[in-house]
Amino acid sequence: MFDETVTILENKKVNAEYFKLIFSSKQLSEKVFPGQFLNIQIENQQGLLLRRPFSYYRVRGSKIEILYEILGRGTTLLAEKRLGHTLKVLGPLGRPFTQKLKGKKRVLVAGGVGVPPLVFLAETIKDPVSPLLLIGCKSKIEVLPKQELFKIEGEVRYATNDGSYGKKGFITVLLHDILKKENPKSLFIQTCGPNVMMDAVMKIAKEFGAEGEASIDERMACGVGACLGCVVETRDGFKTSCVEGPVFSFAELV
Amino acid sequence: MPKKIDLTTKIGNLTFQNPVTVASGTFGSKDEYARYVDYEKLGAIVTKTVTPKLRKGNPMPRIWETPSGMLNAIGLQNKGIDDFIENKIPYFKKIKTHLIVNIAGESIEDFVSLAKKLDVQKGVSALELNISCPNVKKGLEFCAKPELAYEVVKAVKETTQLPIFTKLSPEAHDFLGVAEAVIKAGSDALSLINTIRGMAVDIEKCRPQLANVFGGLSGPAIRPIALRYLHEVKRRFDIPVMAMGGIVNAQDALEFLITGAHLIAVGTANFVNPKATVEILKGIEDYMRRKERQSIDQVRRSLKLKSDFEDRFVPAG
Repeated sequence: MFDETVTILENKKVNAEYFKLIFSSKQLSEKVFPGQFLNIQIENQQGLLLRRPFSYYRVRGSKIEILYEILGRGTTLLAEKRLGHTLKVLGPLGRPFTQKLKGKKRVLVAGGVGVPPLVFLAETIKDPVSPLLLIGCKSKIEVLPKQELFKIEGEVRYATNDGSYGKKGFITVLLHDILKKENPKSLFIQTCGPNVMMDAVMKIAKEFGAEGEASIDERMACGVGACLGCVVETRDGFKTSCVEGPVFSFAELV
Repeated sequence: MPKKIDLTTKIGNLTFQNPVTVASGTFGSKDEYARYVDYEKLGAIVTKTVTPKLRKGNPMPRIWETPSGMLNAIGLQNKGIDDFIENKIPYFKKIKTHLIVNIAGESIEDFVSLAKKLDVQKGVSALELNISCPNVKKGLEFCAKPELAYEVVKAVKETTQLPIFTKLSPEAHDFLGVAEAVIKAGSDALSLINTIRGMAVDIEKCRPQLANVFGGLSGPAIRPIALRYLHEVKRRFDIPVMAMGGIVNAQDALEFLITGAHLIAVGTANFVNPKATVEILKGIEDYMRRKERQSIDQVRRSLKLKSDFEDRFVPAG
């Protein structure tokens, strides 16, 4: 783990939902696995005190890409940063998604802030069976541009709330179809997104007896397991999502 | 060659190599920050509150950022004293700095039993009595009244040889009365200040941002308040103080040292900058060189006051 001041190389709007931030760091780009995150100090001033956690979206050589949504004060200020501005970045942090699967087909279920780490996973894993990436969003204007997804070998399916792109409805409709069609025991679900979405995904997975894991999104302060602000209720009591997570198996989560 | 400066600080029989330490609850219970900070460089390590039994802590969400600060309602999540003795203390035995263990209970008996168990542990330098946690039932009770505060400190003092720091809350109605009571009961030092209860609301969901509704406010937002309490205590009592409340950098730390703190504890700043403690230590040294202070004692209480000013603004209690 490293705490480094990095210089922004790019920070621009990708579509109605996301901004993309790019910076370069050798040490923060080495030995990184999808599902891990960075704790970023956006302003070096005491008014905006805490860092904000962001998952890795892509690592190309020493270049690191972050895909983020404007959700509050921190990300609003981040979106105003320009080329040449600096950020203090701590990482790589957290337990990543399971990389190696024994003969199972991956079904990646992503929404909102959960899209970047799962695209990263879909781009980098080397499974014998191609993964299936399901992305849920509100409308067509939030669909990621094709150039953001071209590296994925498997199939990408969308569900939009208003039906303007892909299937109409919540992402769980897509998941439901797949679990009905294929043998749930041959699938492994990996999900990240709003907690409401992940709760629904886990409920369906349990119904069909499919295994999987979820990357939990909790408010976080330190990122190193000290403050106990980001804990998650598991079968073995509260666990820190920053160090013991953010990825937990469905079986662990209560 | 720069002149050698003396950072050592004495409290009772304990000699601290420098005045920089950490606030309980912000530095974990063991090695959480060991990859960022050489623990042996710090004056002391103060561990997160340990209670007689395992405490699950409060429901989520537990934290919320506020301007220049944060609210937390962790609720003293910890695995209990037996686990602490078995799994945490051994780690500190080989680390050459003081270990101050913060303890809390719901009764005098709880405090006494914790003190008894820690008294025989090698490697424990002092106890910090948390009689001011705002986030648990009965957390602030002992700090609410001077008589209760006196009872608990006295009982612990009779149990252990270990020096005692008593951590007080600015929320005590009779703060100076409580301070006086714990000093009379034999507290070797005071820790000032614990967090101050606050609240925030999610206007979309129309509910509190914290499941516990209230949370303790920490960070730079409370720094001026912490400094005021330190000054009020130092003016009236001859007692060493471990000062805390929004210390982020060396300048902040120096405000507290100049006002008379023996030790300064870095809290919320650790969450933002894991290396805050060591950077603050270096900043204090730089200041001392620049101001030609040979020892930390020269920095301590170098606050200049005009006597008429001093008395005019002192509140009644």
